[in-house]
Amino acid sequence: MNNPGDEGARHDGPPLVSCENLTFSYPGSEGTALAGVSFELGTGEYVGVVGPNGGGKSTLLRLLNGLIRADSGGVRVGGLDPATEPYQVRKRVGMLFQNPDNGLVAPFVEDDVAFGLENSGVSREEMRERVGTAIRAVGLEGFERREPHTLSGGEKQRVALAGLLALDPEVLLLDEPTSMLDAAGRAEVLSKLGELRGARTVLHVTHHLDELLGANRALVLNAGRLVADVPPERLVSDAELLRENRLALPATLRLAAGLGLGAAKPRTPEELAAAVLRRVKLGVEAR
Amino acid sequence: MRIELEDVRHIYAPGTPFEVEALRGVSLAVEPDEALGIVGGTGSGKSTLAQHLNLLLAPTSGRVLVDGADARTLKGVELRRRVGLVFQFPEAALFAPTVEEDVAFAPRRLGLDEEETRERVSETLELLGASHLVGRAPHALSGGEKRRVAIAGVLAMAPEVLVLDEPTAGLDPATREDLLGVVRALRDGGTSVVMVSHDLDEVAEVVDRVCVLEKGELLAVGAPETVFYAHLVTAPSTVRTASILRGPYPEVGRPVRFKDTLAALKGLLEGRG
Amino acid sequence: MTASRSLGQFYPVASLLHGLDARAKILATAVLAVGLFLVDSVAGFLLGAAMVVLLVAASRVPPGIFLGFLRPVAFIVALTLLFQILFSPEGETLFAWGFLEVHEGGLMRGLFLALRILLLVSTAGLLTATTAPVALADGIEDLLSPLKKLRFPAHELAMMTTIALRFIPTLHEETQKIARAQAARGADFSEGGPIRRARALLPVLIPLTVGAFRRADELAEAMESRGYRGGEGRMRYRESRFRARDALALAAAVLVVAGGILV
Repeated sequence: MNNPGDEGARHDGPPLVSCENLTFSYPGSEGTALAGVSFELGTGEYVGVVGPNGGGKSTLLRLLNGLIRADSGGVRVGGLDPATEPYQVRKRVGMLFQNPDNGLVAPFVEDDVAFGLENSGVSREEMRERVGTAIRAVGLEGFERREPHTLSGGEKQRVALAGLLALDPEVLLLDEPTSMLDAAGRAEVLSKLGELRGARTVLHVTHHLDELLGANRALVLNAGRLVADVPPERLVSDAELLRENRLALPATLRLAAGLGLGAAKPRTPEELAAAVLRRVKLGVEAR
Repeated sequence: MRIELEDVRHIYAPGTPFEVEALRGVSLAVEPDEALGIVGGTGSGKSTLAQHLNLLLAPTSGRVLVDGADARTLKGVELRRRVGLVFQFPEAALFAPTVEEDVAFAPRRLGLDEEETRERVSETLELLGASHLVGRAPHALSGGEKRRVAIAGVLAMAPEVLVLDEPTAGLDPATREDLLGVVRALRDGGTSVVMVSHDLDEVAEVVDRVCVLEKGELLAVGAPETVFYAHLVTAPSTVRTASILRGPYPEVGRPVRFKDTLAALKGLLEGRG
Repeated sequence: MTASRSLGQFYPVASLLHGLDARAKILATAVLAVGLFLVDSVAGFLLGAAMVVLLVAASRVPPGIFLGFLRPVAFIVALTLLFQILFSPEGETLFAWGFLEVHEGGLMRGLFLALRILLLVSTAGLLTATTAPVALADGIEDLLSPLKKLRFPAHELAMMTTIALRFIPTLHEETQKIARAQAARGADFSEGGPIRRARALLPVLIPLTVGAFRRADELAEAMESRGYRGGEGRMRYRESRFRARDALALAAAVLVVAGGILV
């Protein structure tokens, strides 16, 4: 996903999302899911969240839209506290889930995209328009009367995305939206997310580090603690950071790192080949 | 054990408006002691093909041969023991109150006595790095742990061939690595492994041969360096990068594995760069 | 992989019946169902059968689909028919074979019963095949909404119906997948007597149920995240207008039933 403008720089104005000393444990479980996590998101920032499973990533997202309530510490989203005003917060925050099937509630695509709008108090005429626009925006025109079980994983996630966008949230919370999809589905969904993101603030939990190359920064959560808050360049090149947090680079980035070409941040194998060619030519010219 | 598909066609829901020809005359052999990769996009017929290897699905036309004999002449239960199949997201089928009970399901069905079953269970769990989970309840485990238990449940049959349909789907990187290690260990230990996967980078690291399916047809089968370099659309990242570079710099050769590709490209940069 | 066609699933085509309001159709189906139980004469049944045939034609759903609806009940119907024919000693004996006697009364009784079941299933199938699932759920909610004053959870019932309709095909596929996965581990669903077979189903039913609960949790999270807070103040996407033709259809249903009973 592309972020036009400065990467790694802080954005002006008060933070849209802020967490202070967040702590949470799931009832009945032994460890703490989140322990004293603090960070801020500026308006329009695109921030990744990475780390080993069980490290608190999903928990963090759920605290931000009020699905769960922190044991201690403060959360503010757009000036509101998700714990006390969840419905207000959810008007401005949209969440995309990992399992493409379990986010679709209605028997037809059209009705599912309309679901959030039905809850939001918008008029029926406006609903129809917004549903139509959203379905077209994700490239699913013609799919209005399709039933969810006939769709591919990528199509299901796009339906879910359409449903979110129809509500026009300021903040997008993405909980590993591509991890259950195949390569084609991943490409579909990521492409639409990039295209349609606009000026929204995004928090993107993922295991695929190449998805965060265009991010402003990445938060590393391990065992409930925020252990790092770094720009993506650092994330993909710091071997110790990667190892300590059980993060894995995709093959292309690993090759790039091994060849000392990490700075090029190649997103595709072809970009890496181009970077290698450039380096070879430079070497030839140097001789 | 050698499994052969002879011009296998498979049509789902024949004669209805939902008719789909998933396999259009595929001929393929799974050799003993090999790791075979089956790759292809969605709708290519990979999963359908996998389910024919132990006749869980029967061909609409064509034959499946096991060691030269028509698979239909073998007892179904026996065939499914010798060719173990792990479905995609297999943890959805975990059902017993404890991990031990669940993994013991297949051995018990095979008629092993209690002691043999217990041994088989603990061996298998150890192979999957899941021994510490033996008394736990399956539904309380993490995704990666459940996956290991589910695979153990099939491996407990001590099959000669293990077919895995997208074994690392939805897993975090650490667990993926562990599972790929298990696949290698199995192949080294004499169990053939057939791995259906859309993750070409993973397949490249593990398999001895690979076959490419597209829309139900077999496009190619053979050694990874032969198949991948001839079909770049379904090739791993390493091959895609190297194939661009070997044009102007043929000394790059045709590496497939990460290690080999890194070495080849390093060599290129040091030699020429 | 396979597209599963659930019993009575919606068949999307434009027809007279498809255009009717869901509420009218639900009520008409109820009226017809009651009528089918009250009809008791050959003429009445002929009227009922003719009406169903007409409705199937008006629905523009291929008749083959309806035959598909009937297949699951065909066995029960045949059994019922046989039972009635062989074991109801009413009326004249039509013929006898050894100790088996077929009486006129039994034959009629059997045929009536069989027809009742078939026509009922067809009528219900007509409803679900011509009414989009959400429209159906909305219709149920609307019809039951006067009961909301008595704290009856009409909206919740409708929501449950929508979700159930949405997940039936998904769960169907899941069941097949789990069954095949267990078969791959040596499970055999066809051996043994009824008790053995029931126990053999546990490795399918348990994960299916556990999985369903997990789905429900995740779905609830998704619904809440999208602002769902029950039926209060929800504006429904689908419009339902009760028009003259809907009233006519309902009136027609009542008339047919009255006619069938009186004939």
